[in-house]
Amino acid sequence: MKSRIYTIISGHFKSWYRSKSNIFWTIAFPLLLIVLFGAIFGSGSTRFDLYLQNQDLNGNIPTPLSQGYVNVLNQTGAFNLHMVAAEQPDPLTFVKNDAQLHNRGQRLLVVPLNFSATVASGKNATIQLFMDQSDQASASLRGIVNSVTVSYAAAIAGAPDHLFVQQVGIVTRNIRYIDFFIPGVIGMTLLTTGVFGAVNTNGRYRELKIIKKLATTPLSKIEWILGMVGYQMILATISLVVILFFGYAIFGVTATIDIYTVGLVVAAALLFPGIGMVLANFVREAESADAAANAITFPMMFLAGTFWPRETLPDIMKVIANFMPLTYVNDGLRDALIYAQPAQALTNTIIALGLAAFFIVLGSLLMNWKEE
Amino acid sequence: MSDTLAAPLPGQSDRVVQVESLSKKYGDNVAVNGISFNLTKGEVFAFLGPNGAGKTTTVEILECLRNPTGGRALVLGYDVSKRSDQAEIRKRIGVLPQDFNAIDRLTVRENIDYFGAMFKQQLDADKLIELVDLKDKRDAQFKTLSGGLKQRVGLAVSLVNDPAVVFLDEPTTGLDPRARRDVWGVIERLKGQGKTVFLTTHYMDEAEYLADIVSIIDHGQIIATGTPDQLIDTHGGKKTLIIRDAGQEGISQLPPGLPKAELRNAGDIAIPLNNGELTNILISLAQTPLHDKEIEVRRPTLDDVFLNLTGRRVSEEGN
Repeated sequence: MKSRIYTIISGHFKSWYRSKSNIFWTIAFPLLLIVLFGAIFGSGSTRFDLYLQNQDLNGNIPTPLSQGYVNVLNQTGAFNLHMVAAEQPDPLTFVKNDAQLHNRGQRLLVVPLNFSATVASGKNATIQLFMDQSDQASASLRGIVNSVTVSYAAAIAGAPDHLFVQQVGIVTRNIRYIDFFIPGVIGMTLLTTGVFGAVNTNGRYRELKIIKKLATTPLSKIEWILGMVGYQMILATISLVVILFFGYAIFGVTATIDIYTVGLVVAAALLFPGIGMVLANFVREAESADAAANAITFPMMFLAGTFWPRETLPDIMKVIANFMPLTYVNDGLRDALIYAQPAQALTNTIIALGLAAFFIVLGSLLMNWKEE
Repeated sequence: MSDTLAAPLPGQSDRVVQVESLSKKYGDNVAVNGISFNLTKGEVFAFLGPNGAGKTTTVEILECLRNPTGGRALVLGYDVSKRSDQAEIRKRIGVLPQDFNAIDRLTVRENIDYFGAMFKQQLDADKLIELVDLKDKRDAQFKTLSGGLKQRVGLAVSLVNDPAVVFLDEPTTGLDPRARRDVWGVIERLKGQGKTVFLTTHYMDEAEYLADIVSIIDHGQIIATGTPDQLIDTHGGKKTLIIRDAGQEGISQLPPGLPKAELRNAGDIAIPLNNGELTNILISLAQTPLHDKEIEVRRPTLDDVFLNLTGRRVSEEGN
């Protein structure tokens, strides 16, 4: 005898792959989004992004010498300079967040306090360039900065060795938009397949009396739910593998699959069907449940940082995003797959698993197996 | 049939279903009001009544989908109210819920296997496909089938565990006449195999054609039980002589001394017949201008039984 749970999983899976629209929404649509968004936002500039903090101020105004240096850098046409306010106490963190937000390279040049006075007094001044050694642009960017600096020093003091650039290595990944986007697409796919899958199987199957029929057999409610969750895990794994492979093949996105990724996939396969089951029980009619699923998933998709970083949202929306389960799945997937931040991935995985346990238990309790 | 609810050993009795004073209330609404009946092994039992009469509620109590609020019901000797007994009942019954659809994108064969996998023991899917006459559609996806064929898949699915009793809830509702006949054919085959069948229907002809025993239920109460013939003989009223297409003019042409005739909608004249009157009436009609009209004798049906017992027809209630 085949196990009942296996039969449920296999029934769902066959129904899934035999439906062209299912295949479209689960696989083709996310890939299409990746291509579209990747093409629109992913193209890099031929100029190097460079953040610049000029700490050498006179009052609130940059000193002429430091401003001159900035102007020379700008005139090379090699950089997109992004100024960091001098009073910014932790410019590195600021750059990391802002670069991620705007899909820029994480590189920071700091013109130090007293730059002008030091140069004027004939002493050596040091300009710090914070950059990741693994940054593909590092060699050429360092070369340009160095030559600009030497020329500037020669021009202002006739002594090219009075100014030098100290390169400070920082460990960062130069996150492109597409790197940011791909985990978001995975999160979005897990959300939609999970919520709609559960709404469909628990709403539509109820309407078609399939659940009523199953309730008259020895199948238990728990076996039914486990079958559904097992099916969702298979779908989630397929989505993850297909999207990551596609991201790698087309955009060269390299991802790390670790224990947190597995934990997040498990969490998503419980969490989103759980939400779908709760919906299907409150909104009994399959069509209305479908509309309710749309009403839940679409705002969640946008607020939870699927397409754009949440930092771009208004403050109130940021607060709301904290209550969106997808936020933790998206963040966790980014931490695990792309940013290689195990500590943050762990936190997000734990939160996602906690939410998953809550929703799957609530959904299971609410689900009417018998007809009362 | 017996009125007492003995306590047979589970699975050992010929009484497949025993129901006594069964009630189901939803707040103040009484869906089933103290009904009692028995179903014996090998019988086709029809639960007949209009929509909302309490048929589905009753059958779903017997299927362990709903809990009764009063009375007692045993299926195969197991008590539907006891959790441990419910597990035993589920192993042994076959159910076709009202408006059931199998899984759209699975084939006929896959659907039978799917529902079969829920049971420890299952019948061979191909034999079931043969029984419901769906060999040609074995590998067709359920969604591609017509309503009648879908219902036959439902019947096959309800038999997949070789059940001791099959509950068929309104198995032909919404089907066209031909598809209804096909479903009846399958139920007749089950009957031929000695299966015990509990059928709910609001179609009088269906109950009359298929059932050994009919219980008529209305407003949650059983108002009559018996074989179709017994019910018709007892509650159906007189046979009727019908003169086709005679119209209002025909009434005036009737010979004197006949029972009171009435004109029915299509222009037919209906004359109630007492026993032994038929020959005399025919002789007297032969002397009138109605002698060349088409004449038939109509036997009362279960529809008449329902009308006589409740004062209304099932069809008047939108069925």
